[in-house]
Amino acid sequence: MSIAWKEIKKNKMKFFILGSIIFLVSLLTFIISGLANGLSQDNAALIKDLPNGQFYINRDAEENYNLSRIDNSVQEQVISKQKDTVAFSIQMGFLNDESDKQRSVAFVASTDSKLFESVAPGEIVLDRSLEKEGIDVGDTLAYKPFDKPLVVKRFVDHKKFSHAPVAYVNIEDYKKMYRSEEMQLLFIPRADETQNFKELQSFSNNDFLNTIPSYSAEQMSLNMIVWFLIVISGMLFAIFFYMMNVQKIGLYGILKAIGVKTSDLFKMMWTQMLYITSLSLALSIGCSQLFKKIAPEDMPYLLTNETTLLLSIVFIVIGFIGATLSGLQMKKVEPLHAIQQGEV
Amino acid sequence: MDIFTIGELRKTFSNGEVKEEVLKGVNLTLKKGEITALVGSSGSGKSTLLTIAAGLQPASDGKILFDGHNLTSMTSEEMRSIRAKKFGFVFQFAHLVPFLTVEEQLDLMLDVSEVKMPKENRQQEIHYLLERVGLSHRKQAYPASLSGGEKQRVAIARAIIHKPQVLFADEPTASLDSKRSKEIMSLLRDLTKTLNITTLMVTHDEEMLSYVDHVVKMSDGLVV
Ligand SMILES: Nc1ncnc2c1ncn2[C@@H]1O[C@H](COP(=O)(O)OP(=O)(O)O)[C@@H](O)[C@H]1O
Ligand SMILES: [Mg+2]
Repeated sequence: MSIAWKEIKKNKMKFFILGSIIFLVSLLTFIISGLANGLSQDNAALIKDLPNGQFYINRDAEENYNLSRIDNSVQEQVISKQKDTVAFSIQMGFLNDESDKQRSVAFVASTDSKLFESVAPGEIVLDRSLEKEGIDVGDTLAYKPFDKPLVVKRFVDHKKFSHAPVAYVNIEDYKKMYRSEEMQLLFIPRADETQNFKELQSFSNNDFLNTIPSYSAEQMSLNMIVWFLIVISGMLFAIFFYMMNVQKIGLYGILKAIGVKTSDLFKMMWTQMLYITSLSLALSIGCSQLFKKIAPEDMPYLLTNETTLLLSIVFIVIGFIGATLSGLQMKKVEPLHAIQQGEV
Repeated sequence: MDIFTIGELRKTFSNGEVKEEVLKGVNLTLKKGEITALVGSSGSGKSTLLTIAAGLQPASDGKILFDGHNLTSMTSEEMRSIRAKKFGFVFQFAHLVPFLTVEEQLDLMLDVSEVKMPKENRQQEIHYLLERVGLSHRKQAYPASLSGGEKQRVAIARAIIHKPQVLFADEPTASLDSKRSKEIMSLLRDLTKTLNITTLMVTHDEEMLSYVDHVVKMSDGLVV
């Protein structure tokens, strides 16, 4: 007989209230983490989609890739050691379409590599989001400073940097556009261990992402909210079960007197916590999926199944800890107190 | 036959500096299947004796022999297991579980005492006992909807559903009027006699003594 379930049945209101609070908090957590993830994709999909490896910029650049100019001889030296090294640059800029409408893009140029689009001179490869804005393959776009026409060759999915769509250009075009013979960055994919080069500073993928100022600020504040919500939900569990347990101290005393094991009292509490949490989570997972459908098209929202699963597990673990901490008082209850205190 | 023997039992409560000896070397034996009543003025140590005998609090010194064991030297887990399987409890108030129906209260006690029996037999036992205490029509009721007398009957049913060897009852009728008290006492006697359960009870109601086999008077921490 499950007395855990019987208590829920008899006290529907109490448990319903706990359930709805957990539902709301977890839904908010899912949505914010979907937003954090969406924004991070919007901000750095270009970098995030690269395999794990090592990024290098000039040591003098002080962790700012924008200030980095890697000497050609240094680049040659690295490439000679690591065949699949790719050198690339990222520059924020503008393109004007045929009706002279200006669009902000992130120009990306690289040496030959499977990791980046290869583009012929005079051509350009764009992120899909620009197609939705009415640009078509074959359109001619202008890069104003040099009045250089670039023909749209094709679109690629999910290539964003600093909230702007990526525009891949040929490396020779890039050198003319930005009057620079040097690339800003080197990337060695799947480099297991950091290789050191005197003039260069190395970063793991994550470290490099965090050097993008807007990226780390955005992610830090959103992730902080997510963790806050998780901690709050843990405290909710603790407070709720604490209040329930305080009310039930007399009952626990009687149950202990007639021989109920303390461990069974804990199991009862855990069962209830699990029922309520699973139900609330199932509901809020459903709603967060629904949110995906009804969220505005251009709202960056990306909630992966892994994130959902991970957060759900965290919620259950936190609920477990919260309930258990507040349940420690059950251990201290003496059967006698309850009996002497009279009617429960 | 002696089933329960208390020898030289002492209990001292210390309240900070002040030590109070509440039991001063109590000797008492309970005979199988018989009802023993503890009487005495308030504060003479009756409840303390009963709860120590029932394994609900430790003794300061002395022996309690039951079923071949000395209860005073048992661990709390061993003591819990004895309470669950071999003892039954009735107190002044019924102390029922508020979110369980009458029949579920008894079902829970069968779980706690780890009585193994097929489901139909369980239901039968519960039904039979509820009939004996006159509550078979209130099987599905929750404690909140029962009268004081009805609650106490459920408490008695819960205390004996697992056929314990010893029943401990601390003023089981104190919260009831005289008529209900007599009904409860006669029920208690009836049930413990049929099931051959040994009973130790505390009462300060003279009228209840006609239902018991032995009366033991306590005064100032001693049996007199
Ligand atoms: N937990 C306790 N702590 C301190 N003193 C107690 C405690 N329990 C009982 N006493 C004292 O022991 C004495 C006997 O109490 P009790 O056994 O309840 O008496 P009775 O049931 O005969 O009225 C009383 O003076 C009471 O104050
Ligand atoms: Mg008393």
